[in-house]
Amino acid sequence: MVDLVLDRDIRIWVFLPIVLLTFLLGVVKHYVSILITTTRKPELQQVYDSQALIRVRYLRENGKFLPLKSFLMRKHYFNDEDSGWLKTQNRPAPASNPMQDPGMMTEMLKGNLINVIPMIVIGGWINWTFSGFLTTKVPFPLTLRFKPMLQRGIELVSLDASWVSSASWYFLNLFGLRSIYALVLGEDNAADSTDAMQEQMTGAAMKITDPKAAFKAEWEALEVVEHKWMLANVEEDLCSKPLF
Amino acid sequence: MNFISEARAFLKKCRDENDRQSSKIVDVYRDVLSDSMKSLGDERWVVYEQVALASFDTRDWEVSKQCLQQLSHQYPGSHRIRKLKAMQLEALGAYTDAEKIYDALLAEDEANSSVHKRKIAILKAQELIPEAIEKLCEYLKKFQSDQEAWLELSNLYIEENDFPKAAFCMEELLLTSPHNHLYHQRYAELQYLIGTVDSVELARAYFAQALKFNPQNKEALFGFCSAAQWLASSTKLASQKKKDNQKYLTWAIDQIKTLYQKEIGALEGKDVAVEDLMAKLSIKAAPEDEVEANGEQKKAD
Repeated sequence: MVDLVLDRDIRIWVFLPIVLLTFLLGVVKHYVSILITTTRKPELQQVYDSQALIRVRYLRENGKFLPLKSFLMRKHYFNDEDSGWLKTQNRPAPASNPMQDPGMMTEMLKGNLINVIPMIVIGGWINWTFSGFLTTKVPFPLTLRFKPMLQRGIELVSLDASWVSSASWYFLNLFGLRSIYALVLGEDNAADSTDAMQEQMTGAAMKITDPKAAFKAEWEALEVVEHKWMLANVEEDLCSKPLF
Repeated sequence: MNFISEARAFLKKCRDENDRQSSKIVDVYRDVLSDSMKSLGDERWVVYEQVALASFDTRDWEVSKQCLQQLSHQYPGSHRIRKLKAMQLEALGAYTDAEKIYDALLAEDEANSSVHKRKIAILKAQELIPEAIEKLCEYLKKFQSDQEAWLELSNLYIEENDFPKAAFCMEELLLTSPHNHLYHQRYAELQYLIGTVDSVELARAYFAQALKFNPQNKEALFGFCSAAQWLASSTKLASQKKKDNQKYLTWAIDQIKTLYQKEIGALEGKDVAVEDLMAKLSIKAAPEDEVEANGEQKKAD
């Protein structure tokens, strides 16, 4: 098979500009996000609640390491019908629609402004300007499955899968420049879009939207936990063989 | 350039592992970094903070002044810097001034747990242990899963010789990290100090668990031996249980002998009369353990 030869101008006017553009975009994103994000103060009650819930969860998972008496004492503290902590806490129900909270709205808007919009705009622009180019070739063979990922915008059945089109090159850069940002901007930079994604996932778990429901769920989970002491036979076990 | 990157790596390691090597940190700053802080980029602010904290320990006020100046120039009015300044006041012994700053910080942001803890630390520094305990309990009612605070409360109770309460705090730590053999060992020591039949039985179990997690833990091995000995010689136990304890005791003594022969015998190349030593040790067991717990607690401070 005869290898394709790319025009030298593609390297100068397509390949390098895309790298440069995505890089500069990341840098600008970093500084813009510093400018407009406000660190939101966590609400005091929310901090207390999440701490208590963490403690209940630990009790549930590791309670088997405590003596029975200590376990029951803590279970009573949290779960007792009349005086249990989880039963006596009264929290107002959360606002039914998060859209009504203006603070949430601006936060979301800012997030979109920094992350999504430039990605779409620049992506669209690159697609429009540079579409239909092959820019580079990865130096190893790939299976056909990679074709839609690496050759966006070029629908050629017979083309080898290791060729990369311009639009795909843009996406590869967008996610692949991570360590370069860390080098240039320092560790916790905002240019890194993978980080933003992770944050979304863990953030959802940390923030309790409805404490009442969370308390009820924990109460139920703790109620059914049965204490089976881990250390019941530990001496026999230990003494069955020499240590050294 | 090489020194700088080495120093930078060292400081980063200390930060990540929360290692309080204050004098070394200050030395590194003074000898290597003080003239070339600019080359650290944005990392230099964290380094300034770290060095300032270390300099309070080593009482290098010249270094603290430099760091605080740089920091307050870069971040005027920041909470973290104000807390740092208050900590310097603490180090100088000006507790009331420091407390004023902390109160002001808390008025602005009550969720700042480290400031709460600093206030308790002031009480502890003034040796007002009961007050510190009271404050710390109040704090833990709100921040229920703060491990550091539970450990500190346990230490404070040990200082007051209130072992059952200290054991309660250790239980919290067992819950959060059930695979830490040192926590098991400490819990067992506390139970042993409480000194009832039930609690010593617990102590035996937890010493055994600590040993299982880390067979190298000699304190736990000795503790296990002492607990078994205590129970074997107790008058309140049923004969079957006594027999069990006798069995554990012989096992533990065997282990200690092997260990002893391995470490001392290997050194001196002769057979030591281990039985005599053992006999002496087991008589002293109870007071020794107490000393050990106290000594450790001082270390933890």
